[in-house]
Amino acid sequence: MTSTPVIQTRDLTKSYGSAAAVRGLNLSVEPNCITAFLGQNGAGKSTTIKMLLGLVRPSSGEGTVLGMRITDAEENREMRRKVAYVAENKPLYGYMTVEQTIRFVSSFYTDWRADIASKLLNEYKLPPQRKVKSLSKGMRTKLALLLALARRPELLILDEPSEGLDPVGIEHLLQMLVALAADGVTIFFSSHQIAEVERVADHICILDNGRLLVNASLDELRQSYRRIDLVFPVPPPEREFQIVGVERIESKGHEMRVFASKNAEAVVERAHNLNAVSVEVAPVALREIFLETVKEN
Amino acid sequence: MLWYKVWLETRSRFLTSLATLTIFSAVFVHHAEGLQRPEWTAAYNRLLYITQQYIVVMWILAVILLGMGGIVREKATGASSLTLSLPVSRALLLGVHVGVGALEAIILAVVPWTGIFLVSSHAGMPILISQVEFYVLLLVAGGLVYFAMAILVSCLVEGEYTAPAVAFGLVFLTTIVFDAWLRPLNLWRLVTGDFCLDRHTYLLSGRFPWLGALACCSVAGVMLLVSVRVMKRREF
Repeated sequence: MTSTPVIQTRDLTKSYGSAAAVRGLNLSVEPNCITAFLGQNGAGKSTTIKMLLGLVRPSSGEGTVLGMRITDAEENREMRRKVAYVAENKPLYGYMTVEQTIRFVSSFYTDWRADIASKLLNEYKLPPQRKVKSLSKGMRTKLALLLALARRPELLILDEPSEGLDPVGIEHLLQMLVALAADGVTIFFSSHQIAEVERVADHICILDNGRLLVNASLDELRQSYRRIDLVFPVPPPEREFQIVGVERIESKGHEMRVFASKNAEAVVERAHNLNAVSVEVAPVALREIFLETVKEN
Repeated sequence: MLWYKVWLETRSRFLTSLATLTIFSAVFVHHAEGLQRPEWTAAYNRLLYITQQYIVVMWILAVILLGMGGIVREKATGASSLTLSLPVSRALLLGVHVGVGALEAIILAVVPWTGIFLVSSHAGMPILISQVEFYVLLLVAGGLVYFAMAILVSCLVEGEYTAPAVAFGLVFLTTIVFDAWLRPLNLWRLVTGDFCLDRHTYLLSGRFPWLGALACCSVAGVMLLVSVRVMKRREF
């Protein structure tokens, strides 16, 4: 059975003058998954999220969130009822107190859960009467997260959610994300903290220069990406390993390191044919996959 | 709850303006006590007319400040993402900003004149209520153009200081330009009561300029509609 994607874009493009922030993005986010959206600064992650939420108009292409068109103002407004969003800079109103902020935001959502809000308020040790402008960055992040997590949205979009949180706060957040996903909430989040992503994400999207380079499940990536270290009595030319799936080759004396996104078996076979004296195949961590992907691009 | 947000956002500006205008009204009454002479009526009415000039200046400053803010200002502070992620239309966001701001502007017009009326009556120097109504109506009807212009500027210009500077500049410029070349259309003269003033008695006389007031409301309405269009098309 094929489930309808929660987020789907087709050739979504956003240009600012001659500079393209997002180029022909074809994204598909499956329901009940935690999808991580990775990319360097300026890769187009935040622009993509803003297009999904109707904050920015696409230059071309189209997209849907929960089946509603992102470019239709009415559908987009309806969609926002079912989506919780925490922006990168954790925007809040400095002139409101913590309590006023919670009361204000909660009034817009029928899925607001006062019990969870109260629980998080205590856990995060947020002072209800304190003005938001006098909160520390970490506390502001916690309040922004509270506003999103105290609901039962169908989709939770988080842009750099752990930024500003201490290790305890990060741990708590990750546990919350996993629990929400288990509860049927689809989570789409961008992050630079790859170790965190690797802990919770089911699916990985890597964006670079506005282009989607990787869109696969974490398990698929772990299974297909390999680092192969080879030692030869007489080093062969690198072109011998330029086969499908090989992303990068590094040679140093008699040693050669091949980084393959797939087809590792073919690389090993070729190495044996070229009389390699040592062949070591190792799995690749997500950090390395990310770095290799954006470096290659 | 949007009105609550706008109130929290604007209340310090509103209350400061209200306090300033109230203090000014008290100063007026205090000054008026020195006019207890046989020929005081004309001088007193002239003082009322001059008072309206000062109230208009302060009121315009206040409504321009009240018109500032909103989503574009929030873009500069980063809070627009939170506002725009709420399940409400941009038109409604702007509409509530306009509604609360307009109500505050009306209160700022009514309170000082009510204060002057009450304190003057109490001090034995009663003012004709029709004169007070005339001044307040002129201020509100004509002055809404200034408020609408402030809203429009706040939708077009982002900077915290740039937007009010542009709005104040426009008020200053249009007043000078209209006074030099299009005096009958000079809004400033309409709002201050200059067009309706009897120079002998210093009373506002004749019929209320309903046509002028209607024209002002129409211009304000057009500016607000343009603001909604700008807001709908704007990217954040």
